[in-house]
Amino acid sequence: MRAIFTTRNLIAAGSTVASIALLACAGVFVFRAIARRGPFSAQSVSLAKQDDWQAFGGTWQYADGVMQNNSDERGAKLMTGPTYWSNYSIEADVLLLGQYGDAGLIIRATDEEEGVDAYHGYMAGLRDLDNTLILGRADYGWREYAAKPVAPRVNAQMWYHVKFLAYGCDFAVSATAPGGQTTSVAVEDPGCLTEGRFGLKSYNTGAEWRNVVIRKATRQDLEAMTGGARLPIATPDELPMGAAPGSYDHYFEPIQRDLLAHHTDLNAQPISTLRLLSPDVPASVTVHGVVTLTSPVLFIQDPTGGLAIPDSHAHAPLQIGDEIEARGDAEPHDFSSRLRNADVRVLWSHTPVPPVAVTAAQAATGAFDAEYVEIQGRLEHKDEAPDHTLVLSIDEASQSFLAIVSEAGQAERLRALKDKSLLRLRGVCVVDSRYTHDLTSFALLLPSFNDVVVLEGPPWWSAGHIVAMTIGVLLLALAALSCYVLIERWRMQAVLEERGRLAHEMHDTLAQSFAGLGFQLEAIRDEANQGSNIVPQLEVARVMVRNSHEEARRSIAMLRPENLESVGLLRAMENCAQRMVNGTSSIAVRVSSAGSERAIPLRISDTLMRIGQEAVANAIRHAHPAHLNISLDYLRSAVELVVEDDGCGFSLTSELAGFGISGMYKRADSIGATLAIHSAPGEGTALRVHAPTPPSFFRAFWMRMQNSWRRQSNGNAHR
Amino acid sequence: MSRRVVRVFSRACHALFLLAVLAAAACRHEHPVIAVIPRTCGTALWEPEHAGAAAVARQRGLDIYWNAPMRDDDIQAQIALIEKSVSRGYAGIIVSPIETLPMRTPIRRVLAKGIPVVVVGTKLGIDPGPDLTYVLSDERAAGEMAARRIGSILDGKGSIAILGINPQLMSNLERERNLEATLTREFPGIHIAVRQFGLSSVPQEQEAAEELLAKGQKIDAIVALSLASTRGAYYALAEFGKAGVIKLVGFDQDLIPPIRNGGIDSVVAQNTYAMGQLAMDLMDRELHGKGSATVLEVPPVLMTRENVDSAQIRQILNLAWWPPR
Repeated sequence: MRAIFTTRNLIAAGSTVASIALLACAGVFVFRAIARRGPFSAQSVSLAKQDDWQAFGGTWQYADGVMQNNSDERGAKLMTGPTYWSNYSIEADVLLLGQYGDAGLIIRATDEEEGVDAYHGYMAGLRDLDNTLILGRADYGWREYAAKPVAPRVNAQMWYHVKFLAYGCDFAVSATAPGGQTTSVAVEDPGCLTEGRFGLKSYNTGAEWRNVVIRKATRQDLEAMTGGARLPIATPDELPMGAAPGSYDHYFEPIQRDLLAHHTDLNAQPISTLRLLSPDVPASVTVHGVVTLTSPVLFIQDPTGGLAIPDSHAHAPLQIGDEIEARGDAEPHDFSSRLRNADVRVLWSHTPVPPVAVTAAQAATGAFDAEYVEIQGRLEHKDEAPDHTLVLSIDEASQSFLAIVSEAGQAERLRALKDKSLLRLRGVCVVDSRYTHDLTSFALLLPSFNDVVVLEGPPWWSAGHIVAMTIGVLLLALAALSCYVLIERWRMQAVLEERGRLAHEMHDTLAQSFAGLGFQLEAIRDEANQGSNIVPQLEVARVMVRNSHEEARRSIAMLRPENLESVGLLRAMENCAQRMVNGTSSIAVRVSSAGSERAIPLRISDTLMRIGQEAVANAIRHAHPAHLNISLDYLRSAVELVVEDDGCGFSLTSELAGFGISGMYKRADSIGATLAIHSAPGEGTALRVHAPTPPSFFRAFWMRMQNSWRRQSNGNAHR
Repeated sequence: MSRRVVRVFSRACHALFLLAVLAAAACRHEHPVIAVIPRTCGTALWEPEHAGAAAVARQRGLDIYWNAPMRDDDIQAQIALIEKSVSRGYAGIIVSPIETLPMRTPIRRVLAKGIPVVVVGTKLGIDPGPDLTYVLSDERAAGEMAARRIGSILDGKGSIAILGINPQLMSNLERERNLEATLTREFPGIHIAVRQFGLSSVPQEQEAAEELLAKGQKIDAIVALSLASTRGAYYALAEFGKAGVIKLVGFDQDLIPPIRNGGIDSVVAQNTYAMGQLAMDLMDRELHGKGSATVLEVPPVLMTRENVDSAQIRQILNLAWWPPR
């Protein structure tokens, strides 16, 4: 048995199990990968399901069928779809919000990250900086394969229909202007990227997309776009825009146009000074600031403070990070000002204001009214408000505040937001009672759901968790107790089995040998002459052997296991006594029982059995009784075993050690029992063991109930 | 019989396990990956570094991870990219710090992990060693170059404004000090009328330059010490109709068309292509345990209307980071 568990075998078994586990994991992985490769499904693409899209930079919002990136980050991406799609086309209406960037569609993309060109894939789109339809490949670096002038031109704030198709290593893109003019470009890219997902991308400007459609592409689809002609091999441009000798006019004009659009009023006032204007005298002012919030109200900020512009007229859609010039009527308020009837003009984009990290206590003073701040707090609860607005109630130290954010298309993330989570929120701090409802000292208007960052989940010590943990601990304790009882039972059974084995061994060897010796001695005695001197010695030896044989038989009887659980203690005692007195027909064994019989724990019954056996053996061996009485009394919380004989008795003071009585005391002590022996020469012996038994749960409960009723009835009787 | 079956099964499992381990090993990158993290990417200033580094990497059997913050003032994003490169187990990092001081701790942590670093464009104040080397644009020469160009176009006399002074970048300060020292030494007739600190974005630089021009102070030339201040100053000059009238000498290649029409007189260009090449070469040495305390300086080039189409400038502006077909 032991030879199986050699180090070598254990190592071999371990590595086999590890190999099987690894292969099982690999099998599951392959199965799932195959299962994921579902059929091409155009219907599954929806801009409205924002949870299906993954953003890499940008501020993405969906409303009324239009996906908008409000940020003019360089290289914002929104990706979706499986990475194993190969031949397909994506088409969409695309609108550029700014005048100095590009926006379009990505195809066959993998390994996307935040970064200007941080993905592997192809991108095609419109660039208003140089008025072109562009097509190129990104591999964490941009290769521009084509930049074809668009007819009539690329204008911001106008919808163009862009279709981008990949088939094999051929790529075609077309852009259709609002007037119906179509511009197309197609290239072949030997060694192309063969599969990947798709997405939306903008660079240096905000943009909008709508009517996104994905279709499986065929050779015929490609030929329909390219006319079936052999496509030119893609050759990337090796110089930056405007560096090629012939491109002066091409690139200089949009730069000139752009810079002139940013002419600023040098008499612009710092925003904080507006609060010092007279509230009674209307004042027309000009301010410069960076947009920090566009909805529900436009907020801007300069280094001196923030400003709300409730009713503004903007020449173009405003994006967070736009530096604007606003001219309007100043309206000073307690903590900040407002600009009414404002005419707003974008000076420049991509200058987002970093938030100021403040505590709720600082924000509650009103010192940061209308400013873009970052606050941490614990979410108490969230409520839905009209117009797909979510109101988060936040606690931080001694202050509470509200955070208001649009929840459109954010169902998945909303569900993940758990009460009591620690959040970091970025938004515009307002003390206006329209938002606070005078419930809190301030509220935070968040630009998007991306401005809610969960720093840590709810604390573990909730009431539910404590209850669950208590139940768990109890179950664990119960399981441990059960294990302990089970192990004890196994141990006892092992001990009993070992005793049985010893009894069998003794029976087969020692007892048989004594019997053989006895027969041999009797035979020698019979053969010897009656007058021989050896006969008396042989007789003595024969008696000694017989006595030893009887001793051995008794020992075997004591060691032989009795199935205490099945036959019961009393019956086992009787069987054992009968075996011991077997051949001693002069001793009559009587057994009796009193009280209601019940199961006794194995440990207690085994100990009582051993003590009883010892007492019976002592009586047979030394007392030579005529009667042997064994009784078992089931008391309320104990069990009492009595072994009585009417033998010769003995003096308790003189012969204790010789009879193994000290061993019986030790056994009794091991189960918390008391042992009493009454004996005197000529008066027989009585041995009484009083062993307490643990009450069962239901019995203890019942006893407690009975006591309670008894007390109640006694009380009533007294009254 | 059953023992034989068990033995065969066990051996089959081990063989498959070995195959799986070999397959996993084969899926790892064939070549060591070097993260190259400029201040931003997709610009005329930094894409040539990609091209230069990639050319050397291809020769030496190295792969490149090229990425950068989306804005050239986003130091936190740049630090996050460095940490990401470390966590991905890249073999080395080549970085062009956006700011000097905030980058010291992240670089020291990278070095403590035994990852070699090449810093491009500015010193960090950490001494070079076997695992840390510098590839710099020669800012002393750049300052002198700008000063001599100003001295030349103003004929040794006049008033100038210095815009875009940035104390957060040691290389920028070195430019400014050498510019002023050279002007004082070689062109005492040129008076520095205005010094302005750099701002974080082009529009702010433009606004600052507009305010300067609106004051009516007599200025014959502007020296703009950074890419943003050069563009901002050019926009302001164009807006005020002074482009070409007030001479503008800028730093760091960005807008090329205004150089052709004289709106920008000249730009002191960093040879980022050569810097990328040298940085990757040093990285390769460091990876092979041959690194030593090295600080290499690459001479800048004055980009003017006359030489903008020259082979030298075309090489500096080279974007071709991709392998030839």
